[in-house]
Amino acid sequence: MARKILRINMSTLKAAYEDVPEKWARWAGRGLTSAITCDEVDPLCHPLGPNNKLVIAPGWVTGTPAAPSSGRTSFGGKSPLTGGIKESNAGGLSGQMIAKLGLGAIIIEGTPAKGKWYTLVVSKDGVKFEDAADLLGKGMYEVDEVLWKKYPKTAVIGIGQAGEMKLSNAGISVNDPENKPGRYAGRGGMGAVMGARGVKAMVIIDTGGPGVDIVDKELFKQGRRKLTESIQEHGLTKKAGGLNAFGTAVLVNILNEAGGLPTRNFSAGQFEGAAKISGEAMAELCEKRGGEGMMGHGCHPGCIIKCSNIIPDENGNAVASCVEYETTWALGANCGIDELDYIAKMTRECNDIGLDTIEAGNTVAIAMEGGLLKFGDAEGALATFDEIRKGTPLGRILGQGVEATAKAFGVSRVPVVKHQSMPAYEPRAVKGIGVTYATTPMGADHTAGYTIAPEIAGVSGKLDPLSNEGKAELSLTFQAATAFIDSTGYCLFIAFPILDIAKGWEGMAESVAGVTGQNITGADVVPIGKEVLKMERLFNERAGFTAEDDRPPEFMLNEALPPHNVKWTITNEQLDSVFAWVHDGHAA
Amino acid sequence: MLPLYYLLRTNVQSSKMKVNLFLYGSLARFGGGRYVAQMSVDLGPDSGKMELLNQLGIPREERGYLFINSVLCEVPGMETGSNELLKDGDHVGIFSIDRLWPYQYRDGIRMSEGLKAALGERGAMHHSYK
Repeated sequence: MARKILRINMSTLKAAYEDVPEKWARWAGRGLTSAITCDEVDPLCHPLGPNNKLVIAPGWVTGTPAAPSSGRTSFGGKSPLTGGIKESNAGGLSGQMIAKLGLGAIIIEGTPAKGKWYTLVVSKDGVKFEDAADLLGKGMYEVDEVLWKKYPKTAVIGIGQAGEMKLSNAGISVNDPENKPGRYAGRGGMGAVMGARGVKAMVIIDTGGPGVDIVDKELFKQGRRKLTESIQEHGLTKKAGGLNAFGTAVLVNILNEAGGLPTRNFSAGQFEGAAKISGEAMAELCEKRGGEGMMGHGCHPGCIIKCSNIIPDENGNAVASCVEYETTWALGANCGIDELDYIAKMTRECNDIGLDTIEAGNTVAIAMEGGLLKFGDAEGALATFDEIRKGTPLGRILGQGVEATAKAFGVSRVPVVKHQSMPAYEPRAVKGIGVTYATTPMGADHTAGYTIAPEIAGVSGKLDPLSNEGKAELSLTFQAATAFIDSTGYCLFIAFPILDIAKGWEGMAESVAGVTGQNITGADVVPIGKEVLKMERLFNERAGFTAEDDRPPEFMLNEALPPHNVKWTITNEQLDSVFAWVHDGHAA
Repeated sequence: MLPLYYLLRTNVQSSKMKVNLFLYGSLARFGGGRYVAQMSVDLGPDSGKMELLNQLGIPREERGYLFINSVLCEVPGMETGSNELLKDGDHVGIFSIDRLWPYQYRDGIRMSEGLKAALGERGAMHHSYK
């Protein structure tokens, strides 16, 4: 059965199935959310107004049997944080279930009567609009629990109090296999877009769904095998490899040793307490405390990397899952906090209230710089989340993220691009990633430019790690490969093996070709990714973005970052060259 | 006037040095840790990276990234052939060979002259050289 679009109108409380139109037929995941957003959302609309939409799409291979680590769900629309197009994706249970219902995408549009909130129950029989009054004001731990009592073993998508308040740092939660929140489409405030549609939660029931059509089963199996083998062979993704044993936070000590771990609101590149909040420290904590604590936790069925973790308290009871690299950095090093227990508690707060941990940690750091509390004040930092939960005036400022908080507290060191705060790689020290931060249509985002090993990208001849030459082309190639992977439904961490191991790269493309019937090989990955990027860049241009939005924050040009005392050195001309091709043959 | 033995002792002490060492991953066992170990190491005068590694007894095949004062000096599986000199108070971080550092997160970081020269001969940095 061909995929369908499920269009849900919150003004009329009606839902309808539509055939996927030809123009969208080749897309899935990020490619589809961006295509629909470009076609149906006015780039000049207010992100929280009636003309924005929330588009939800599983990837090409999501929901297929045994495609490894392929449970991603893309959430797209116009971002309240950046004012541009946004795709933010999450693991958890939702992607596979939406795909198994035969849905290419769910489009949520319109606005219900004032004060009305709904839980949308999506099944093979259509959509039920349930009054969500009883869920209002509740955090996501309770929402997941309440909805599983009524609809056990289902996927639950939801927003916490931050989404209800339509705060710009509100994320969208997806439950994990243990029915806990923590798998977040965190970046860009998409939880506020969901809240603006009057949707507190969605329940996805895949029972009796038609499943995902696979056009060429043999090709799919061949691609799946190559990809699986490459994941199992690669040092970072194999069983007991870096990610499985220590989680994404395996990078904390490396970046810290290199002087590239942003510390105390990007004022230094090294944190003296880094080892205490690293993946290695988390593994030691889990071994020592036991109980529910574990490394190697899987965020969705069928993941073979299993980079998630469950951090326990001193009695072995679960506090939060997952404390990622970005999370332990944002709430730790960047706030001068070296206590894992507090970082886990703050992660739980973010998971419950519905906040992106990167933006949340950066915001606390800004508040510290602005004098609200001192760097290193873990107890004080934890208390700020209660302000957001309660919606106090201070909490509403903090919940708007870094820029709003910087204005409120008179801070000028504001680490944002396109109004979104930077992740955990200091672009003055790790120069290559700075180009991606500055130019991606998504705002400062480390996941926008996952890498191809330079040899595979075909740019190795220009690659001098000490020179800025070639970095623009490299960043574009990385951004395009990422846009493709974000469209597959595969976890972005397959990037590590597929970009190092040639058969993995082929396998990813073949598995997509097998499912969709499209003639896609490894050589098509970057060109297809560029098509997605072009859509997104043009949306942003129509939303008012110019070259001046592709710039690093001013302080990075003026302030030398210890320990290497380096400033931003990439020129504006280099930044502008990344997407100069977008207008080739296209009327500006 | 200070006694002669005091002057001699002072001179001997000034020529010795201590480096602050962090060991990560399985190498932590050389410093008494599980996955991370921090220790202070006494070294003789004019010691460098190689003297430190020899003193610690870490097998070459277990060594991955090695940093001295935030400068990358070694990458997994590749012998640079250079012996960066150490001085009192230096910080050294050594990772086990299984630590991978994805390209986009290391592009542009600072490297030692010895590593630059080695990469100049071997080409772009890989996750590991075998």
